[in-house]
Amino acid sequence: MRRLVRAAALVVAGSVLGAAAPPRASYVIGELDAAGLATRVAQEKGRVVLVNFWATWCEPCREEFPSLSRLASAYRPKGLTVLGVSTDLASQMPGVEKFLAAQNATFPNYRKKSGGDDQDFIDAVDRAWGGDLPFTVLYGRDGRKAKVLAGQQSYAALESEVQKLLQ
Amino acid sequence: MRFARTLLAAAAFASLAGLARAAGPEIGAAAPDFALQTIDGKTLSLAEAAKTHKAVVVMFIATKCPYSNAYNDRMRDMAAAYGGKGVLFVGINSNKTEPLAEVIAHAKEHGHTFPIAKDPDNKVADLYGAGHTPEVYVVTPDGKLRYHGRIDENSEDASKVASPDLKNALDELLANKTVAKAETKAFGCTIKRV
Repeated sequence: MRRLVRAAALVVAGSVLGAAAPPRASYVIGELDAAGLATRVAQEKGRVVLVNFWATWCEPCREEFPSLSRLASAYRPKGLTVLGVSTDLASQMPGVEKFLAAQNATFPNYRKKSGGDDQDFIDAVDRAWGGDLPFTVLYGRDGRKAKVLAGQQSYAALESEVQKLLQ
Repeated sequence: MRFARTLLAAAAFASLAGLARAAGPEIGAAAPDFALQTIDGKTLSLAEAAKTHKAVVVMFIATKCPYSNAYNDRMRDMAAAYGGKGVLFVGINSNKTEPLAEVIAHAKEHGHTFPIAKDPDNKVADLYGAGHTPEVYVVTPDGKLRYHGRIDENSEDASKVASPDLKNALDELLANKTVAKAETKAFGCTIKRV
């Protein structure tokens, strides 16, 4: 009986102290092709949408990632949706999951769908984009593309662009 | 007023289209010449190589990039197949984070016997406006750029390539035809310049 009470007390203490949440099954919640991405962005109409294209092998992407998480958390209540799209190869998905878990990513992440022609995807996102990563596209509340940011951005730079669109 | 509006529109367009990478040569323009030391100690001059070959394929490559590495076999096989047709494949590693010893080991591991050179301070990558790996440029004996972009569209599976763009470009050039699809795009690893 005493052992049972002690076990119950440990369970209660664990929940009070905020025991670690069980690991998520998957951080990448789906695959998107160009049409799927357009649909996903359209679903957020009325909000500012920031789409970041990244990959685990891209060092500037990894460095930029914490800023995106911070931005997503800070501006979600103010009308910002951040979406990540990994362009990693299918064989690299375990590494993608590991990276997102380590980052405790605060925004939804997808993977660019395998197959198809990357050029079609790149051009559909932005014709001036050469495929270099990271690459960020901002859409205004009207759902229209408002700004593209090539290369790694600082938190301040991202925040400044988001604030302009949220006004 | 109209001028101001035009300026504003131009600024907005520049902002939308503004990309970090410096522009490289246009298709049909002169390919910037360079001379680099290859990993086996020889000097590689683009101008000299172009004069003595039917085409030179300048490939920006990497040792650690999964996208570039996905093409190791294709690079090796194409270099061998087109070498017999008078085409020279050249690999350039512009990544500051990948030292010469690593480039030599990588070439040996993947059986790359085509000339490979380190690009100190990524000067050649800057001349070409190369942004990522793999990214290829094809230069003809007149020193003009005839193709720029990817090797093909399928980095994940060489057996399912539907658009062998580099091969098509070389075949067209060897047949004295104009390259129909002279600019292509693909994802790749950003060249690490710092």
